[in-house]
Parts: sequence; C-alpha cells; structure tokens
Amino acid sequence: MGKSKQVGNHKSDKKKHISKTWKTKRRTKDLDQIHSDMKPDTATKLLNQEVDYDVTGCAQHYCLHCARYFTDMRSLKEHFKTKGHKKRLKLLREEPYTQAEAERAAGMGSYIAPKKVEVKTQNVEEDMD
Amino acid sequence: MRIEKCYFCSGPVYPGHGVMFVRNDCKSFRFCRSKCHKNFKKKRNPRKTRWTKAFRKASGKELTVDNALEFEKRRNIPVKYNRNLWDKTVEAMKRVEEIKQKRQARFIMNRLKKGKQLEKEEAITEVKKNIHLIKAPHAGKAKQLEAKMVQKLQEDVDMGDDN
Repeated sequence: MGKSKQVGNHKSDKKKHISKTWKTKRRTKDLDQIHSDMKPDTATKLLNQEVDYDVTGCAQHYCLHCARYFTDMRSLKEHFKTKGHKKRLKLLREEPYTQAEAERAAGMGSYIAPKKVEVKTQNVEEDMD
Repeated sequence: MRIEKCYFCSGPVYPGHGVMFVRNDCKSFRFCRSKCHKNFKKKRNPRKTRWTKAFRKASGKELTVDNALEFEKRRNIPVKYNRNLWDKTVEAMKRVEEIKQKRQARFIMNRLKKGKQLEKEEAITEVKKNIHLIKAPHAGKAKQLEAKMVQKLQEDVDMGDDN
C-alpha cells in the first residue's frame, strides 16, 4: 500500500527530478478524466483523430486508458502487452474518487462503496479502418 | 462563509487556508495543506492512502453507515435569519454531535473486541503447539510405571494366596 514505486535512483534521468515531473506543465491525465474519456462518443473521437503532425505518430495510434500516443500500430500492440498498461486497466476498474466521496468520508452522509467498472483494452482492429 | 472539505484527507478547509487547484477542465480541488496537495500531485489514490478519512471509511475502521451522519449536508439554499430557528439549530447540533461521538466510540470498541478474541485463540494454539516446553513429554512416566508394577505384584500375590 505505502510501497514506493521508485526502484533505485541511479542512471535513470527520469527519476532524478521528481518535483519537476509534478509541475502542472507536465501534468498527465487523471484517472477520472480517463473515465470520462471512456464514454463511447468521446472514445470514438479520441480513437479516430485527424492527422496532426505535432503529435507522436500523427495522433493515429492512441491508447485510451493510458492517455498516450504511439508511433505505429506495432508499438501500440506491444504496449497492450506491458505491465504498465495492465496495471492501468486494473486501476480503472474502480469508480473514480470524487469530492463527494471526500465529503461523505468527513461525516456528510453515509459511506457508499465504489462501484466496479468493466474495462477492456480497446479493440485494435477497429482502429485500422 | 463555507468551510470546505479537503479533497484528499477530508479535513476542514477554512477560508484563507490551503490551496485550490483548478484543472484545465474547470474542475476544482481543494487541499487543506501542502501534504495533501503533494500527494494529489503524485496521483495517489485517497482510498489507498492509509491516513486519509476515505481510507478509514473504505476499510471499515470507522462508523460508516448511520443516521447520525445524515444531518450535516451541503445546503445551497440560503435560509433567512430567524432567532428561534438559530437557537434550535445550535441545540440540535450539540445533541447530534454527542450521539455521533457515542456511536463512533461504541463502534470502535466493538471492532477492537475482535482482535482480543483472535489474540486469545492465538495464545491457546501457541501453548498447544509448544506444550513440550512447559511439560516434559516423559514427566511422571516413571511414577506411573512403578504404580503399575506394584499393582501387578499385588495381583500375583493375591493369585498365590488363592492357590
């Protein structure tokens, strides 16, 4: 539970400036944002984006759950097999935390257990069209 | 004036205290102190962070479902001042708080009882497993044998008498 994800602090430049990775400039999507992305109409919009030369892979290969662009179909498929992606799916299986839940925990109403949400890796064949 | 609740730890956020973060989709998050803000930036889940109220509720450490918890609510309609109502409300708040405290205390005491019972069971099994440390396995066996021999001799003597 309280275990740190960081394993070793040598060599890897990514882990050297942790405070910089938390800057709002570099902010990545939160889980509740991804939950709203997963709604069918936004999901189709995100998965079928127009060609944008500024984005990795021209925004053609997007992983909905990890909110990440990939250069080509192969790397996207490889990504689906990774531990990071599977962990992300597991995290998304629970309903996102909200301010309402924080208030309930503070004594404004009774506790309501978070619902389970079914999450599956996006269909790749659909993307090819 | 409204005392907000911290997004992360559910603590009170008084006016002029803490930080508010507004995400680029207009959703706002209030934090009571930098500790909570930092943990939010690390994308920690309050349900999984041991020291938050959300964790304590989610894992059954505290009273979760009770009528006493239903009084405090976010009310968005202002009520016109009325001295009588004011007095009554203050009185009721005290009473509700008293009842809530009592119920929470009772809940926790009941929760701790389980641990005591388990401790007892564990102690009994430990004694059963390590009984050889308390009582030697052959303790008193010599005496038993002696008693048996004496009995046998007695029987033999009796038989001899009969013949």
